[in-house]
Amino acid sequence: MKKIPRIAALALALTLLLSLCGCGAADGKTHLKFQIWDINQRSGMEAVCAAYTAQHPDVEIEVQVTSWSEYWTKLEAAGESNTMPDIFWMHTDQILYYADFGILADLTDLYDGVEPDYYANHYSDISIGNASGTDGRIYGVPKDKDNVVLVYNKEMFDAAGVSYPDENWTWDDMADASQKIYDATGKYGYMAYNDEQLGYWNFVYQNGGYILDPETNIHAGYTQPATADAIKYYVGLQKNSWCPDQAFFAETSPGTAFFSGMGSMFFEGSWNLLDAMRRYPDLVGKWDIAPLPKCPNPAAGDGAATISNGLCYATAAKGKNLEVVKDVLRFFGSEEGQRIQGESGAAIPAYLGLEDSWTTQFKNFAYMLDVQVCYDQFDTCVQYINNATRRKWKSTVSDEMVRIYNGSDIDQSLVKMQQIADSYVTSD
Amino acid sequence: MKKNKLSPAARREQNWAYLMVAPTIIGLVVLNLWPFVQTVYTSFCEHLGFGHYRFTGLDNYIQMFQNAEFWRATWNTILFCILTVPVGLFLALLVAMLLNAKIRFKGGFRTIFFLPMVCAPAAVTMVWRFIFNGEYGILNQLFGTRIGWITDPNFVMISCAIVAIWSNIGYDAILLLAGLQNIPKTLYEANSIDGAGPIKQFFTITLPMVSPTLFVVMIMRLMSAVKVYDLIYMMVEETNPAVTSVQSLMYLFYRSSFVAGDRGYGSAIVIWTVLLIGLITVIQFVGQKKWVNYDV
Amino acid sequence: MKNNSLQTSKTVNTVLTYVFLILGAVIMIFPFVWMILTSFKTVAESNAVDPVVIFPSALRWENFTEAVTSLPFLNLYANTALMIFFRVVCAVLFSSMAGYAFAKLEFKGKNLLFGIVLVQMSLPSQIFIIPQYQMVAKMGLANTIFALVFPGIVSAFGVFFLRQTYMGIPKEIGEAAYLDGCNQWQTFYKVMFPLTGTSVAALTIFTAVFAYSDLMWPLVVNSDLNMMTLSSGLATLRGQFSTNFPVLMAGSLLAMLPMVVLYLIFQKQFIEGIATTGGK
Repeated sequence: MKKIPRIAALALALTLLLSLCGCGAADGKTHLKFQIWDINQRSGMEAVCAAYTAQHPDVEIEVQVTSWSEYWTKLEAAGESNTMPDIFWMHTDQILYYADFGILADLTDLYDGVEPDYYANHYSDISIGNASGTDGRIYGVPKDKDNVVLVYNKEMFDAAGVSYPDENWTWDDMADASQKIYDATGKYGYMAYNDEQLGYWNFVYQNGGYILDPETNIHAGYTQPATADAIKYYVGLQKNSWCPDQAFFAETSPGTAFFSGMGSMFFEGSWNLLDAMRRYPDLVGKWDIAPLPKCPNPAAGDGAATISNGLCYATAAKGKNLEVVKDVLRFFGSEEGQRIQGESGAAIPAYLGLEDSWTTQFKNFAYMLDVQVCYDQFDTCVQYINNATRRKWKSTVSDEMVRIYNGSDIDQSLVKMQQIADSYVTSD
Repeated sequence: MKKNKLSPAARREQNWAYLMVAPTIIGLVVLNLWPFVQTVYTSFCEHLGFGHYRFTGLDNYIQMFQNAEFWRATWNTILFCILTVPVGLFLALLVAMLLNAKIRFKGGFRTIFFLPMVCAPAAVTMVWRFIFNGEYGILNQLFGTRIGWITDPNFVMISCAIVAIWSNIGYDAILLLAGLQNIPKTLYEANSIDGAGPIKQFFTITLPMVSPTLFVVMIMRLMSAVKVYDLIYMMVEETNPAVTSVQSLMYLFYRSSFVAGDRGYGSAIVIWTVLLIGLITVIQFVGQKKWVNYDV
Repeated sequence: MKNNSLQTSKTVNTVLTYVFLILGAVIMIFPFVWMILTSFKTVAESNAVDPVVIFPSALRWENFTEAVTSLPFLNLYANTALMIFFRVVCAVLFSSMAGYAFAKLEFKGKNLLFGIVLVQMSLPSQIFIIPQYQMVAKMGLANTIFALVFPGIVSAFGVFFLRQTYMGIPKEIGEAAYLDGCNQWQTFYKVMFPLTGTSVAALTIFTAVFAYSDLMWPLVVNSDLNMMTLSSGLATLRGQFSTNFPVLMAGSLLAMLPMVVLYLIFQKQFIEGIATTGGK
């Protein structure tokens, strides 16, 4: 009786030993690890890597996926103990923390031997900005770019006899349409919920306000009249009968509500569109996208704006294979590398002029989504809001937003948000 | 200190004891105690980034004690313990006893009560969210109410407590079942000849005999209730209007240490949490003398 | 007369027992049934709230196919099995030894050392993640089975739980063995340890389930999908923005299977446990 477990234990112990020794195959190749967080983009990333290794058979790149929240726990711990993966994605929320601390390799000179001003010639200022540290140096090769669009349900517009949104639409048109759709169909209109990038940030910049002072990117602007008015307008939308309240959104995300036919409009990031087409095959052709509605009477500017973010490929400053990695990154940022990424449908390439390679995957559907909207909107984009201290005040400020939605005095809360964000400015 | 010299037998016993606890103690010191010591230190520091710290004395604690949200979270955590532990233990003991009784389909029932433990957390969350949904939820349809179970500040804690109790019954029942099965049957046989009813039997035999196991389950449950985080995080999102009514201490810790990167402040919250657990545990260990029966 | 009322109350008891168990079973099994139903739905059906779609419109096995093709299930099964095996062996072995020592032996510093056990239980596991990851990374053992096992080498809970079990065993049994000429180790190994069968089985299930459901540690310490456990592998199916629930549920069902089988085996052990310890 007792011998069986012992034999089993021995066998398992052997397996363990074997699994310990299994790694580090000596085939003379350079093995690189490439860490990402989105499983939907794995095949796209593998395609880019395959294109590189086809030209460089002495290099092998393994794409590894971790889920979003563990990704950052792990990357930070790895940064501390100098065990980072060879290549990894960087997000705008995080890049300044890593770059300003000297963790990331400076890639400003990456293309010096190829073409002077390579970045400026092939990438927008926003893309470069999203990949730069506070010191203005470039710490990542821009990967993709995105913006926010208005998603609308065509059937509900038809039922209410309202014409589809176009580039001339304003906030007022959106509110009117919402009311008409609600009256005619009983479905919700524009679903405005508590969110930054997909919510009030867009309204603030459309109205000519700002979250961070565009000149210095240091001081917050929550109490600026244009900012405050836009936030008040946006929060106030939930008072309309055609918009659900925040309690509703705590249980049902706007996307879920939209695709289960409960509402007619919501803001969505371009990065989610392909996924939505794939996941709701029965709804293809019943919805489309339009530019974000403009502010009808902006305090400054022409009323159009959409927040644009983008990821970049980065590597550790103290990486072991830095020279090989730099060569791989150079390829990732090349026209070819960016085109493969776009055609895989992973995301809109950051490389200027290659935007419509992303259209490839949309052509596979019976209905062609108006993705041109995304490309056109890059003209009115605002760079994703970020600075070195935002990481620290981000969640406290969003707590205050929750209080606003719970009915606290908006002006007082905005003053508080301003104080929270600015308290980190003066302390240094 | 009374006996400086141990008898040879006692010395041998002591050496064996050290040998037997050594692997555990070494493991705990390296894996857990040392990181905890570091946490104690960092609670007096400001985190500059990537594991670099600057000593700032009591700053984090002062900031913490002045923060209304922190006190709210402390109260939420205590409330969560009060709501989950007694009810959860009672139900788990009841389930364990019933599963230990002479019933049909014992194996089937035991397996069913075990299932929640291995269900994917995503599935569990999804199901409960459907049950609790304020507009279309099964619960509201059943009772004809319109309660925002996870969005109304008055109900959100109760809803989370229900999910917690539900997910822990299986674990606790298994441990208690083991305790119940260690009770010699002869005790019951002798007792039933005396003509004692089931309720009397419970208080004279079952409870005293299972009390050592019940005690360990209770300690574990209290400790994990004070440390609650995952469940609340999954049920209640950051933009939920009721978030402040359910935010626990570890939820605050997670947000400061992992989201905001303020590990010093986060460590201070951990120290406070551990002190709270320590206090509860000491009370339990003093109190156990009144009800836990060791056959020594 | 008296006999009759005793009979009735017994019947009432039995009925109440079954009512409670069946009601409880329904509540307990509900999410599991929901998982099965969801695994056959379309994404639209799985997300619908107004009204909630209960039954899938067709049996969509392609959700299972997609789960199997997007994850290396064979590796995940093997890794999970190895991790559970080693964690259980360590937990049972070391916890039994320490639990016995804390319960039955006298030694200096006992309370202090037991205090360490209690302190560990009171510490939130989140504070260990980064230091433990760095230990593994510095040993160069990230992405191995060893890394998966690492935090579970010792189990404070196991020590406490088994200490309580040993406390419940009459001292005379140990003393008798000691007088028979056994040394402390033999008393423990030959006499006392076999008496804790059911508790050890419970600890095994507890440790196994705990290891099985641990998400964060495997994700942090092992980044190669081939070196993940079932739960953590499934977690990578969660997108950053949205999750394909039907595929996730299909994968979760496949992942649950071995655990249920394992449980069925051990729950037999429970019943045998009564036979060995009940007669003492």
